[in-house]
Amino acid sequence: MSVIIQADGLCRNFGGLQAVDSVSFSVNEGEIFGLIGPNGAGKTTLFNLITGLTPVSSGSFSYQGRAITGLPPHRIAGQGIARTFQNIRLFKGLSVLENVRISQHACTRTGLFSGILGLPASRREEREVEEKAWEILKLIGLSGRAAELAGNLAYGDQRRLEIGRALALQPKVLLLDEPAAGMNAAEKQSLTGFIREVRELFHVTMLLIEHHVPLVMGLCDRILVLHFGSMIALGDPAAVQQDQAVIEAYLGAE
Amino acid sequence: MYTGEYLQNILNGISIGSVYAIFALGYTLVFSILGIINFAHGAVFTLGAYLTYSLAVGHFGIGGLLADMQVPFRLSFPLSLLLGSLLSGVFGVLIERCAFRPLRLRGADPLLALVSSLGVALVTINVIQYLVGSEIYSFPSEVYGDIRPAFTFQRGDTTIVLRTVQLIIFAVNMTVLVLLRYLISCTRVGKALRAVAENSSTASLLGINVDRFILYTFFLSGFLGGMAGGLVGTSFGIAGPYFGVSYGLKGLAVIVLGGLGSIPGAVLGGMVIGLAEAFVPSDYSAYKEAVAFAYLFTMLLICPRGLLGRATIEKV
Repeated sequence: MSVIIQADGLCRNFGGLQAVDSVSFSVNEGEIFGLIGPNGAGKTTLFNLITGLTPVSSGSFSYQGRAITGLPPHRIAGQGIARTFQNIRLFKGLSVLENVRISQHACTRTGLFSGILGLPASRREEREVEEKAWEILKLIGLSGRAAELAGNLAYGDQRRLEIGRALALQPKVLLLDEPAAGMNAAEKQSLTGFIREVRELFHVTMLLIEHHVPLVMGLCDRILVLHFGSMIALGDPAAVQQDQAVIEAYLGAE
Repeated sequence: MYTGEYLQNILNGISIGSVYAIFALGYTLVFSILGIINFAHGAVFTLGAYLTYSLAVGHFGIGGLLADMQVPFRLSFPLSLLLGSLLSGVFGVLIERCAFRPLRLRGADPLLALVSSLGVALVTINVIQYLVGSEIYSFPSEVYGDIRPAFTFQRGDTTIVLRTVQLIIFAVNMTVLVLLRYLISCTRVGKALRAVAENSSTASLLGINVDRFILYTFFLSGFLGGMAGGLVGTSFGIAGPYFGVSYGLKGLAVIVLGGLGSIPGAVLGGMVIGLAEAFVPSDYSAYKEAVAFAYLFTMLLICPRGLLGRATIEKV
């Protein structure tokens, strides 16, 4: 198993607040890597650092052995790191299909003008891209609603569309920020199956932020626990569940 | 008011309204991407007018530093308008690079970009004045080549004059609208632009180079602003470098009336203000602008988001 993401001493402070405090870990290829911690532990900030949305204060991380600290978000995305958001961020004014196809911009090779003019190479590429988009729509079960505006979908469908949109980037690493938020028990169950299916089909490594403990424990190969920006545990689900520091962070010290 | 006069007013209103629409589209594109009004848009309008004039007429200025300078070539009117607009587009890109981008990268308050664009506007207009003076320019009628400058239709007492430039304006307006509509709703670039407009950080996480799309937008905006300037210049002459400022304000009225960030709104707003002005009796033509703004004010009281404004501007 080779390491796909390596973080070394990542730090980020907002004024006096140490949101992420020297966090180091590595994620193996093909792994589902869980990220848990109480509210405000720095999980989403960590995602923002990896995707380049928030610059790091210090520390570095590499992807497939290349340093990508400080690259702009679109370059990091273009190299194969995609994400979803805790609060769904679809383009509500675009259709379901268009949402999926937006992500494919980074993957297309033909340029701006051939795109506008509809040159043959660009058209061929459009067709390939469109086929892939339909495959993804089928996978997420939305191929029947491709022309609908994304904003009109039901909540669960929006969640899946957001994952589909991220997959359209053909990522090697997918960051999921609380994908089960706001779902009922049955939906959470089917999401677990869906995430496993995505891993099988796309051979994608996943980092998963989630509060729902059974889902995390059932899905993840390893789990990193953050508390006030610092790592307090890292290991397989069983070990993390037994960890004294983790129990204290969640339930308070005796 | 008899029928002929009525028709003539409608014709004039649609023509000038078309120019307002083209101009306002430039404003609204930048607004929909950045959420900021680019105050330098009026200066781009002035620049476009002078560029079109110089290229079509063959000399730079009457007064100012370039008073005796000749342009080494003379282009036909359509080519001058196109080249003038393209150069204005390039100037739009410069505005983004100098007045907007540095502030954006430093995370400055959007209000600061508003002020810096105002600065760019004043500097540009002053430089233009220094170079070509502040005289009033009018395009000689022969710029259209063999085409007659106006067509007259007469039936009984009714006379309607259709100036060639009005026809050109209307044709250009329609072409621009169709092309813009195609660009935004059918091409990949347009879809990416819409994504950037809706949420630029999400777009960047999907691999879209947001800064580059902002640049495209400024080019397009400058192109449209310069084109409007060239058209107004040919239609009414250039009333000195500052004339872009008053059109700048009117353009603002147009997009607010139509609904900020809305493309059909900019077109509708342009037509409404153009027609409202055309029906101001000629004895009171000095008060045209007051009429336009009174109209804006009244409409906003009734419909605060503008005619075609979005229900809410959502920020996540």
